[in-house]
Amino acid sequence: MRRIFLLGLAATCIAFSSPALSKEQLILAIGGEPEQGFDPLLGWGQYGSPLFQSTLLTRGRDLTPEAGLATAWTLSADRLTWTLTLRDDARFSDGTPLTAEDVAYTFNAAKQAGGRADLSALNKANVLDNTTVELTLSVPRITFLDQLMTLGIVPNASRTHGYREGYGRQPLGSGPYRLIEWQEGEQLIVERNPYFHGPLPTFERLVFLFTTEASTLSAAHAGQLDLAAVPPALATNLPSHMKRIVMESVDNRGILFPMQPVTGELASSGAPIGNNVTADRAIRQAINLALDRSTLVNVALNGFGRPAFGPADGMPWSLDDEAFASPDSERANAILDAAGWKRRNDGLRYKNDQPARFRLTYPASDTTRQLLAQVSAEMVRPLGIEMQPTSRHWDEIQREALHQDAIVFGFGSHSPQEVYYLFHSQHAGFGFYNSGLYSNATVDSHLEAAQAASGAEDANHHWQAAQWDGNTGYGFRGDASWAWMVNLAHVYAANTCLDLGELGVAPHGHGWPITANLLEWRWTCD
Amino acid sequence: MRVAQPRLAATGYISLLLILLVVLMSSPWWAGSSAAQMQFDARLMPPSASHWLGTDALGRELWARTLAGLRISFWVGLSAALLGTLIALTLATLATLSTTLDALVSLLIDTLLSVPHLILLLLVAFALGGGTQAVIIAVAVTHWPSLARILRAELFSLRHVPYVAISRALGKSRRFILVHHLLPHVLPQCMVGALLLFPHAILHEAALTFLGVGLDPTQPAIGVLLADAMRYLTGGFWWLGVFPGLGLLLMVLSIDRLAAQLRRAL
Repeated sequence: MRRIFLLGLAATCIAFSSPALSKEQLILAIGGEPEQGFDPLLGWGQYGSPLFQSTLLTRGRDLTPEAGLATAWTLSADRLTWTLTLRDDARFSDGTPLTAEDVAYTFNAAKQAGGRADLSALNKANVLDNTTVELTLSVPRITFLDQLMTLGIVPNASRTHGYREGYGRQPLGSGPYRLIEWQEGEQLIVERNPYFHGPLPTFERLVFLFTTEASTLSAAHAGQLDLAAVPPALATNLPSHMKRIVMESVDNRGILFPMQPVTGELASSGAPIGNNVTADRAIRQAINLALDRSTLVNVALNGFGRPAFGPADGMPWSLDDEAFASPDSERANAILDAAGWKRRNDGLRYKNDQPARFRLTYPASDTTRQLLAQVSAEMVRPLGIEMQPTSRHWDEIQREALHQDAIVFGFGSHSPQEVYYLFHSQHAGFGFYNSGLYSNATVDSHLEAAQAASGAEDANHHWQAAQWDGNTGYGFRGDASWAWMVNLAHVYAANTCLDLGELGVAPHGHGWPITANLLEWRWTCD
Repeated sequence: MRVAQPRLAATGYISLLLILLVVLMSSPWWAGSSAAQMQFDARLMPPSASHWLGTDALGRELWARTLAGLRISFWVGLSAALLGTLIALTLATLATLSTTLDALVSLLIDTLLSVPHLILLLLVAFALGGGTQAVIIAVAVTHWPSLARILRAELFSLRHVPYVAISRALGKSRRFILVHHLLPHVLPQCMVGALLLFPHAILHEAALTFLGVGLDPTQPAIGVLLADAMRYLTGGFWWLGVFPGLGLLLMVLSIDRLAAQLRRAL
C-alpha cells in the first residue's frame, strides 16, 4: 500500500513538474532553409545555432565565450596559439566519441573549403592528445575567437560516417538534434540526439516548414504552426491562439552602393560592373542624409525596429555618433549642387548628361525589403534622384545585379568580423559582403589593426576608426559606401503554450537565430 | 425576335465595355498620380468616404491602383490577343499554300494543343525573363492554335467555292485570291477570335504576374495587387484583394460576353 502511495506521489510530482511531456513535436516556419545544406565548413551555423553540430565555445547572453565542447581554453602570449581542452563525454549522434581528431579535421578542412568561416589566419590545427587540440595562427586575429563559437565540429573524413561530399544533406554532429528527413523546399524533420552531452531538449521532434510569407501566415491562422516568423509589416494581426514574440537583433537593412564607375569591365557572369551614379560620393551622402529612418521603421517595419546608421549600431565596435535625428534635405541638396549634379526640367538631376537614376534591387520574396526599397525611393525623389525599385530573384541578383545595382541587403552579426568582410578590399567581389567593390587603403589598415589588436578594447578603437577616423572611413561622413536604414526586431508568432525562455539578441536571420536557446524551450499547457 | 435578343445583349455589353474603357483610359487625366502617391499616415485604411476603396500598405489609394491595373491589363491583353490572332491567321494562311506546309502547321497545332497551356505559358514567360513584353509574347504564342485550326478549316473550305474557282480560272494569282477573296471572308472570325482571346489574355497576364513571372511588381498590375493582397488577407485587410478582383472580373466578363454574343450573331 505504501509502495502504491509512493508511486502515485511520484507520478503526480512528475505530472506537475514536467508539463512539457504532453507535447512531443513542434512545427516551426521560421524561414532560413540553407541552400548549401547543414555543412559548417560551407557556412552553416555562422548566423546562429548549428542545431546538428556543437561548437567548441558558445556565446553567452552578454556575447562573452562560455564552455561548449571545450571546457578550458588559453591563448598564448604572442596571440598565435590557442590550446583547447575538450570534454571527454561528447558523442556524435551515431554514438561514436568526438575527439580532438575531429576538431583538428574540422578547422583544417574549413580553412581549405573557403566557406563563410574565415580561417585565413589559421596556420594549422594540431592534435596534442585525445582531448586537447592546438590551433596555431599565422598572424594574431582578434575575431578568431568568434570561429570557436560558430564553427560546428564535423566527424573527420577517415572515420566511419565521416565528413564527405554531400555532408550538408546528411549531417552527422554532436548537437542537440539529428536530421531525420529533409525534403528540400518543403520541410525538415529533426529528432533529439540521444547522445547529446548537454541537457536533453524538451521536444522530441521539430518539423521546420519552408513556406512563403503568405503561406506561413495562412498556416499560422489555421492553427498548424507552433512558431512562425512574421514579417514586421504583417505582425499586427496575429491569430488569437498565438502570442507575439519580439526578439531584439543586430540585424540591419541598408542600401549597398556599387562604388566603381562603369569601365566596360564584366563580372564572371557577364554582367557589367559599376554604376556611374552611385560611384559619386555626393549621391551616396545625399541619399544617406535624405532618408527619414524613423518613417522607414514605422512604414516598412510597423514600428518593430529602430533607425540604423551603421552595420553594427549599439555594438562596442560601432561609432554611434553617426546617427542623426531627422533627415537633412537642405544639406543633401547642397552636396549635390556642389558636386555638379544640376536639376533639369524633368525634376531629375544630371551631371554631364548622366541622369541621377539607378536601379534599387531587392529580393522578390521579401516584403520588408520591398517596402524599404519603395519608401526610400520615394524619400530621395525630391532631391532629384530616381532610385528605381526593381524586384529580382536571388539567383538573378547574384548573376546580374551584384556589382552594378544598388541593392537592399541585410547583415548583422555578434562579431566585428562582419565589418571586416563588408569593408575590407580583400573581400571585394567575393560573395555578397563587399559586392559593391568598396576599397579604401586607410580603412583597410584600420581593419587590419583591429584584427591584430591585443584586446577587445584596443580592437574596438580601430573598428571605430574604420568607420570614421576624422578624415575618412566607410561611414556616411567618409565614403558613405552604404545607406543603412533600419534595425529589425525579429517578430514571431508563437503558440500561447510555448515558452521560449529568455531570448538573446539575434544576428541576421539566416540560420534560425531564435533556436539559439532551444534547450530552454518549454510547453506550458497540459 | 431570336435575332434581336443577341443584338440587344451585344449592345448592352458594348455599352458596358465602352463605359469601362472611357473610365479607364481617361483616368490618367483625372486621377493623376494617385496610384503611386504614398500617404504614410493613411496605411491600410478600410474603404471610407475619404478612401473610396481603401488604401494599401504604403497608403496608396486602391481605387487609383485598381484602375491603373485594369488599364495595364487591358493593353497587355489587347496586344497579346492581336499578336495571337496574327500568328493564327499567318499560319492558317501558310497551311493553304502546300500540303507539306499544311502538315507542318497541323502538327504544330496538335503539339501545342496537347500540352497544358498554363505550363507552357509559365515556361515561355520565365524563359523570356518576365516583364510586359514577355507576358504578351508568352500569351500570344500559347493561345493561337485553337483559332488557327478554325481559320485553317475555313480557308480550306473557301478554296473550292465557285467565286474562288472562277478567279483561279481567270488566271488570278494566289496572292490576289488570298487578299481579295479569302482574307476578307475570315476577317469576322478573326475579330471574334481575337475578342474571345482577349479575356483569356487578361486573366493569364494577371495569373503570370501573380505567380511572379509576369509584370514588374512595382507596376500596379492587377496580378501584383492580388499577390500583395495575399500577404495581407490573413490580417483582415480584405479590400486589398476584393476590389482589384472585382474589377478584373467585370472587365473579363464584359469582354467575354460581348465576344460570345458576336459569335452567335455572326
